[in-house]
Amino acid sequence: MGEILAILPQRTDDSREFWDGCNQRRLLLRRCDSCESVFYYPRSSCPVCGSQRLSWVESSGSGTVFAFTRVEVSFYGNQWESQLPYIVLLVDLAEGPRMLSRLVGETEGLCTGANVHVDFVVVENQWLPFFRLQPNSGVA
Amino acid sequence: MARISDEVVIVGIGETRVGKLPGLQPVQIQAMAVRDAVDDAGLMLKDLDGLLNLDPYVTPSSMFATTLSEYLGLKPRFVSTIDVGGTVTGMTMIQQAIWAIESGYCETAACVYGENSATVRPPGVQGLHMHNLLGGEEWEEPFGCQGMVIPYALVAQRYMDQYGATTEDLGAVAVTTRKHALLNDNAQMKKPLDYEEYLTGRMISTPLRLYDCSLVSDGGGALVLTTERRAQQLGARYVYVRSMAMRCTHNSAVALPDVEELGMRDAAADCFAAAGVGPEDMDVLLLHDAFTISVLITLDAMGFSAPGESGALVRSGATALGGRWPVNPHGGLLSQAHIGGMLHLTEAVRQLRGEAGSRQVPDARLAAVSGNGGVFSVCGVMIMEAS
Repeated sequence: MGEILAILPQRTDDSREFWDGCNQRRLLLRRCDSCESVFYYPRSSCPVCGSQRLSWVESSGSGTVFAFTRVEVSFYGNQWESQLPYIVLLVDLAEGPRMLSRLVGETEGLCTGANVHVDFVVVENQWLPFFRLQPNSGVA
Repeated sequence: MARISDEVVIVGIGETRVGKLPGLQPVQIQAMAVRDAVDDAGLMLKDLDGLLNLDPYVTPSSMFATTLSEYLGLKPRFVSTIDVGGTVTGMTMIQQAIWAIESGYCETAACVYGENSATVRPPGVQGLHMHNLLGGEEWEEPFGCQGMVIPYALVAQRYMDQYGATTEDLGAVAVTTRKHALLNDNAQMKKPLDYEEYLTGRMISTPLRLYDCSLVSDGGGALVLTTERRAQQLGARYVYVRSMAMRCTHNSAVALPDVEELGMRDAAADCFAAAGVGPEDMDVLLLHDAFTISVLITLDAMGFSAPGESGALVRSGATALGGRWPVNPHGGLLSQAHIGGMLHLTEAVRQLRGEAGSRQVPDARLAAVSGNGGVFSVCGVMIMEAS
């Protein structure tokens, strides 16, 4: 595949630090100071206990595939045909949260439970947290 | 036996033609469906003092209950526009109409949805453009996730991998539903579909092919509710609503839970418990079939099959007309039309009145309707009973 296309995020007060973190190639997750839950996506209160006492922690970037799909049709008109096919996946991060993302690189060996690692890809001026299959990640 | 209400019943149903209705705006389509339902009940438009609807998804519009009310020349004592999610919206309209009538806010209420998405949807866009609808765009779009097929494809892949379900299982849902649609004059799909042809459908997003996806439709459906006393005075053939339950677990695919944590299981358990019945008591099922995978997951979650066994159930013929639990005899969202599930609700009533003609389930007394909006984000179940 050539150039990667992406619709870039519209930052909010909840997400500015997350996307800035991506630009430093850091995957930042929200952590609740009250109940210690780590959650994704960032928002202004903890989805587990409701606390607004929140900090940021950096994810190791490692995770396993919860689900994936190979998209074979463009949902964005003709310009997007260059992206086909591509993989959208849900990753269970080592820190716990589930995250929706896109796979880059090799797809052979992709399966539920496969090991993946974050791989930042730049589109225009924004680095995006895509994932890459880890070598020999096949699951027993 | 437990019911949402012993006093309020469904007294009329209305349904427009489906497919493409060029020249008609959503308000006109909804008006047609309401007039049809009012006629069916033996009522006049002026008898309506309650009106509940949903504004069109493709052209979202504010205050759409008042728009429709003005168009019809009504001056209702109770109006509401309700957006919960696929088929659960219609169930919630019915539930709230019952509450409003029981509480004395109104006596006779119409619940309606209809739009012209097949006619007005811009060419080249496949699937509803959900920007403003699911709200997860900041966490979906940068990763190429758009519309509804990709989220459902993720659920389908996970379900199939976890339980060993197969393409044959998905295909059996599509083929069974198409057979039913051929018995319905008011269905978009007119040609038979066998498994070989199902496989020729273009892959959209693995594992979902073209015929795993529901239709895009113009059309409308409506139901009228009033007191049982009034229904008896009218001499109408009416239907009871025994129970309804819903569960909201998440919104977009970004927050998708494990398959066994989807809300359908709890919604069904609550609904069956409230009605004092179980899956074994059901005669006909109207299951929200935005995608074939929806039917498989719903059959498991409602207890018609053990987890992972719904594919075998469908392949056995149990969900076809003549089987133990016929599913979507009208052809469903997959092969009749996708009117937000309103036609699942009208079909349940038709079946319980014994008026479904060549697709009638013999002696149908109890019907279960399921709905799910978003990607199983909000799940609902309603049980109806013949009078």
